[in-house]
Amino acid sequence: MSPAPAAALLAGLAAAALLAGRTVSVAAIAALLLLVCLRGPAGRRRLYLAGALGSGLAVFLLTPFVSTIGWHVLWSGPSVPVLGRLDVTREELHNGLFQGLRLTAVGLAFAAYALLLDLDRLVQAAGFARRSVLAIALGTRLVPTLERDAAGLVEALRGRGVEVTGARGRARLLAPLLAGSLERALNLAEAMEARGYGRPGATRAPRPPWGARERGALLLAGLLVAIGALWL
Amino acid sequence: MRDCSLELEPGEVVALLGPSGGGKSTLLRALAGLVPHFHGGRFSGQVEVDGLDTRRARPAELAGTVATLFQDPEDQVVFTRVAAEVAFGLENLGTPPAEIAPRAAEALAAIGAAHLAERPVAELSGGELQRVCLASVLALEPRLLLLDEPTSQLDPEGAAAAIELARTSGAAVVVSEQRPDRVLEACDRVLFVEAGRIREGEQLPAAWLPRGMHLPASEPLGAAVCRLEDVSFAYDALPVVVGASIQLGRGEIVALVGPNGSGKTTLAKLAVGLLEPDTGLVERHGRACYLSQDPGRYLVRERADEEVALAVGGDLARSRRALAAVGLAGFEERHPRDLSSGERERLALAAVLVAEPDLLVLDEPTRGVDPERKDELAALLRAQAPGRATLVVTNDLVFASEVADRCVSTGAREVALA
Repeated sequence: MSPAPAAALLAGLAAAALLAGRTVSVAAIAALLLLVCLRGPAGRRRLYLAGALGSGLAVFLLTPFVSTIGWHVLWSGPSVPVLGRLDVTREELHNGLFQGLRLTAVGLAFAAYALLLDLDRLVQAAGFARRSVLAIALGTRLVPTLERDAAGLVEALRGRGVEVTGARGRARLLAPLLAGSLERALNLAEAMEARGYGRPGATRAPRPPWGARERGALLLAGLLVAIGALWL
Repeated sequence: MRDCSLELEPGEVVALLGPSGGGKSTLLRALAGLVPHFHGGRFSGQVEVDGLDTRRARPAELAGTVATLFQDPEDQVVFTRVAAEVAFGLENLGTPPAEIAPRAAEALAAIGAAHLAERPVAELSGGELQRVCLASVLALEPRLLLLDEPTSQLDPEGAAAAIELARTSGAAVVVSEQRPDRVLEACDRVLFVEAGRIREGEQLPAAWLPRGMHLPASEPLGAAVCRLEDVSFAYDALPVVVGASIQLGRGEIVALVGPNGSGKTTLAKLAVGLLEPDTGLVERHGRACYLSQDPGRYLVRERADEEVALAVGGDLARSRRALAAVGLAGFEERHPRDLSSGERERLALAAVLVAEPDLLVLDEPTRGVDPERKDELAALLRAQAPGRATLVVTNDLVFASEVADRCVSTGAREVALA
């Protein structure tokens, strides 16, 4: 399938997860997206899955402590300045699960987009807002690039006999990774300008025509949003 | 740059030589309009390219008339697949859609990279990526072609082909090189850029003159520090090293040469223990250190001396001695990212030399290093050679012939060592 309708389908699923009102519906969408992500390359999907599932879990765990809803108190904790009394209610737990699943579903939709779609073809297929699509595609590439850079830094350190261990050792690589990605971004911007990027009158290589499958996927993406808003 | 004047005729090939940090890259960027538009700075005088004043025409407007190949191929790739990458510039210039794919394919074929068209960019070797970047600029059919160290990661045959292709493209070509033997025969004139000034028509410094080569192929010397026997390794399903055997003895320097993509770097990593072989035996005695071919991986700390001291538990005195040994005395407090590419290469070298390893493996240590510094590096490695076994992976045959006691070669794809 062409990547543009596939991206629309993923966006439709993410939108449905955000619009749906029932926890079970959001959980079903997240499970479906998880299955889709598992089709991605094993070596690359680990980081994306950890990000999506980890952030969802963090929301689930934190939400009860920063919200005050419901009367069925399950645990009553100390009083903390600014936050007040740290009570955990059944309603807060349910709300945390709901919001956590929502975030997980959106994260998994992004993971599927990054892992499974051919970003080059997505940019080439962009009939409008091509600059924005290219910017998104370049932004998406940041994760694997940072991963590769981190592996390179660790390898160079091992080549000097320095082992990187523990969270603290890895945290020390964050600043050089950030500086490296900024430097690369500048170099890339320079190379793009030198190759005429941003000049008026740009054309694009012909894209393959859409078939019934692509049009059907686009229609389904719209339906998913409507279903999410109205029935889920 | 100071008081520089230069005129380029259509179709002429100009070699730009000179020490690292002398201003070669800045001159190329001025010709492309990137100086001052992209880099800022103080600019006086005038640069005119094909009738366009670069102060008024932005680099994107000059694109097509001018095409620039930058030093670091990894930092100029926009797309994830080769064919799309080569097509990018053509699309920006408004090439008729039906012509884009054929011209991209033609440029790839011309540089001997047609087979890479559908490959993901991330899977290419440094040399293959450099070819793809060259195809990307040649596809634009510019009138002025600016090449900043275009052969730094290419094997000698690939480098000769790339220079010949540029020479016959019909464009005026300005090629900056740190390996003068690769361009001097092909160029119409030579500019020597030093301390921001252009010198023309003067005798080149001795280090920059072409040299004869002799690649010795003798037997291993000294007690074995590292031995690989019948070693094989594959990345996923792609075999890169098959049945390789090599022995490195204390006191000798061995140069490992061979075509791009023939497994030199993989073999080096196997020797030093950064990769484990799928089959075969690897033996090492003592401490092993490896210099990556990417000096950007030696920019972890915020001061040069602290960066180098990482390998010796923070011993700044040893770090400063190592910096001085590679010609970076006085750079101790500089931020590694503020160094030029040649200086970064030397910083990376200091970062591994400081450990005084028993086995030293250097992967393309002369990338971006000027001939004078290469001579100093060869002398340094020779002086320190008796205490260790040294393996130098390189495409720089002149350097290999100057530094090595013996030379072993990888085959076209699988490693077959002499």
